Amino acid sequence: MNGPRGTLGRLGRRLGWERLALPAAAAVTGVVLLVVFYYPVATVFVESVVVRGEVTFDPIRSVLTSDFYLVDIIGFTAYQAFLSTVASVALGLPGAWVLARFEFPGRRTLRSVTILPFVLPSIMVAIGFVAMFGRRGTLNAALGLVGLGPVELLFTLEAVVVAHAFYNAPLVMRVVTAAWESVDARTVETARSLGASPTRAFRDVVAPQLLSAVAVGATLTFVFTFASFPIVLALGGFQLATVEVWIFKLVSDLEYAEAAALATVETAISLGLTYAYLRYEGRVSGQGEGANPLPRQSLVPDSLDVKTLAGRLSILAYGLVVVVVFVGPIASMLLASVSASQGFTLTHYQFLVERQATGASFQVKPLPAVRNSLVFGVATVLVALPMGVVVSLLSARSGWKGRVIDTVAMGPLAVSGIVVGLGLLRGLVFGVSVFGRELVVTGTVAIVAAHAVAAYPFVTRNVSPLLARLNPRLVESARSLGATRARALWDIELPLVAAGVVAGAAFAFAISIGEFDSTVILASGSGSYTMPVAVERYLGRRLGPATAMGSVLLVITAASFVVIDRFGGRWES
Amino acid sequence: MKRRAFLRTAGAAGTAGLVAGCLGGGTDQDGEDSGSTAESTAGSTNTPGETTGTTVGSTAPAELVVGTYSSFVDAPSSSPGPWLKERYESEFDATLTWETPENGLNYFIERQLGNARIDADVYVGLDTNMLIRIDQKLSEPLFAPVEEGALSRREEVKSSLEFDPKGRAVPYDTGYICLVWNEAETTAPETFDGLLDPAHAGELIVQNPTSSATGQAFLLHTVAAKGEEGYLDYWRGLKENDVRVLGNWEDAYNAYSNGEAPMVVSYSTDQVYANRYDEPMAQHQIRFLNDQAYANPEGMARFATSDNVDLANGFMDFVLRPEVQAEIAVRNVQFPATTTAELPAEFAEYAHEPPEAVTFTYDELKGSLSEWTDAWARAFASK
Repeated sequence: MNGPRGTLGRLGRRLGWERLALPAAAAVTGVVLLVVFYYPVATVFVESVVVRGEVTFDPIRSVLTSDFYLVDIIGFTAYQAFLSTVASVALGLPGAWVLARFEFPGRRTLRSVTILPFVLPSIMVAIGFVAMFGRRGTLNAALGLVGLGPVELLFTLEAVVVAHAFYNAPLVMRVVTAAWESVDARTVETARSLGASPTRAFRDVVAPQLLSAVAVGATLTFVFTFASFPIVLALGGFQLATVEVWIFKLVSDLEYAEAAALATVETAISLGLTYAYLRYEGRVSGQGEGANPLPRQSLVPDSLDVKTLAGRLSILAYGLVVVVVFVGPIASMLLASVSASQGFTLTHYQFLVERQATGASFQVKPLPAVRNSLVFGVATVLVALPMGVVVSLLSARSGWKGRVIDTVAMGPLAVSGIVVGLGLLRGLVFGVSVFGRELVVTGTVAIVAAHAVAAYPFVTRNVSPLLARLNPRLVESARSLGATRARALWDIELPLVAAGVVAGAAFAFAISIGEFDSTVILASGSGSYTMPVAVERYLGRRLGPATAMGSVLLVITAASFVVIDRFGGRWES
Repeated sequence: MKRRAFLRTAGAAGTAGLVAGCLGGGTDQDGEDSGSTAESTAGSTNTPGETTGTTVGSTAPAELVVGTYSSFVDAPSSSPGPWLKERYESEFDATLTWETPENGLNYFIERQLGNARIDADVYVGLDTNMLIRIDQKLSEPLFAPVEEGALSRREEVKSSLEFDPKGRAVPYDTGYICLVWNEAETTAPETFDGLLDPAHAGELIVQNPTSSATGQAFLLHTVAAKGEEGYLDYWRGLKENDVRVLGNWEDAYNAYSNGEAPMVVSYSTDQVYANRYDEPMAQHQIRFLNDQAYANPEGMARFATSDNVDLANGFMDFVLRPEVQAEIAVRNVQFPATTTAELPAEFAEYAHEPPEAVTFTYDELKGSLSEWTDAWARAFASK
């Protein structure tokens, strides 16, 4: 590695690009954000304050003075988001513990695919949940075997909360696992050598380093479930309408001023939360360098004292919950793809083959959908990783300025997807007049840019906390030895935060694979449709074809995550 | 995190599943197409003053762009789109290009609002509610009225299905929205009041009227049955009786198919589909509450900005042909709009028409539709 990198380095110094690399990356990031995010969003928000050419605060005021909006919609949305966050953290933390602290065959693969639920199109999650928890679902069939049940779980707030946990517990798990794996073992050893009990060492040394990761997971979960929409409609019903459901209703009715006003309030809440969280993240300063991970225990214990046994039993109990909540819906969905009322069938997959072979040009075919998803996914990772890391560096400066940059850069997480989609549609897709020339932005590049913008905050949120924990003297000494900022980042910081970068890459890939709104809007009738679009198009009176396409999505995505983690692992070591 | 598109639900009927293999373009055997080409071209008369006919016969191949909802061309089974394109192109000297934006008609409304060019010549899949939305939101007309005498088959459309007083929309099929129920698990009530019976608690799935054509039809039917003053109270009763309001027709019908509830709001043509798939008829019983069903005709119209007036008229006339009407009805699992459609016998056997069809006219809905729907939404979403 030293040879080529050294040559590249010398070349780089001669050309001076190393010195320009970070500012250039920052500038590109800014431009991309502006074009496919802030400009479109601004065009929508303008409608909440400009009605018929006049500036007015009436739409926003009417939202903020309405009992219906404040209590029935916003209040309820916050309530369900709170419950969903609690459930996600409760489900995610034990998983992070098992993945970070135990060694067992298949651990790496398991860690790779834990992110899978995160990418599943909501329609598939709804299908899986109905198949698992429905009146005639797998769970009731299993309960019936042991003489229990039936239980009715669907179309309640509980169903929505569990589905949200299905989506977001993996996120919590992933972020916390990455943090746990970068806890420096030496800090724990030091505490132990100073006489701390294992519990005390965990509480005083490890837990503080995990807290910010838990807070990242919880904040993201809250923001996401606050903006929840299709899951609420599919598993809860309209009586559980959330803010986003209502924005969608208003947009569908072309009531843009009211929709924009509600979206403005929603965004203010989400950005406010993000800012509050970032204040917290800034205060939590870590100790370790992240180079010496804690040793993992074997899952199969060598001795069987009471404490070890209790630990293993709790893992077993947790495993059972995982099987019901995570494996159940996914397996039930896979099962649905090979079942018909008469029993086992391959006709749903046969449909995919036939559609591929004989489908008309204006119809959605499976293979192009797979290819597009993979191309967009890889391109998104390539674009989002530099963007995310650059934003991490930029926002690392102390004080409120860094937090404001960070908050603004986290905008894509906090702004309603419906609003972004609408802005994209009416700005870039319909055409914008720039210096007298009509510009229309659609197609592959636009889709990748939009995916990268949606994805890079995940890179930043995975990398930033780890970066903040690094000892600044590492970079300072490298700089004093003549390294450019870019080289210090590449040679010293990135290898130390590799776990976060890999986690970020997996998320970026996941976001791209699962993204729906901007894909359909920016594809604009071209052949740039993806796997989730195909799943949606194949829905009909029978679920079969859609579940078959969904299973294809599932298998391909799972394989991709294993590759990302393996590839990232090689880079880590 | 993904949002389902609005208005796909308008295509609920289009999603109606028919496996291509079952049909195999069987209607071709009828040989009904003989002689119809000449007739339809004759039908597309030029209107003086219109810049028409420029593309026909010119060196560039003529192209007709038809916008529609995606399931009309892309449902897994045999949505009418591919068949229509093939049949149309085999007879007309023009290419038919489908345009299926994700948010359906709203896409074109938004383009017009944003002063963006509209490429499509015709839209397929309008209903009364959409026309009202267009007329309320747009200052310039989105669709043009069909000129007097421009369609040779215009008179064959059943007059009861006409829903556009301004003469833009030409109905091409219609559905009756009613209850579909499973007789193995319940007996559907015969009246709206019966649905409030505690015996039916948790037994009904309805689509969301704010995002689904069938849901909106059912809501309007309750307004017709209970009156403008009484329908919200009636819905409070339904809510207390644990009615489930899901996003769109697919969500609701899938939940019903999975046995989540024994009654669902759907179409009176449901048995046509059940028969084709050999599904047990017990699960596809039809109930016309109060001996009525809400009629929701679908129509097509020419975009006002289209220059292809002749081609557009020719296409609409083509859609009204008896054999094309029959094919759309079978594939879309809807009733044809014309009196002349030649339906297969099994369709007549399994497609049920209500004793009384209920529908609000354009003028009745114009001032009230959004008011009724919004009031319902606020009441129902109150926690």
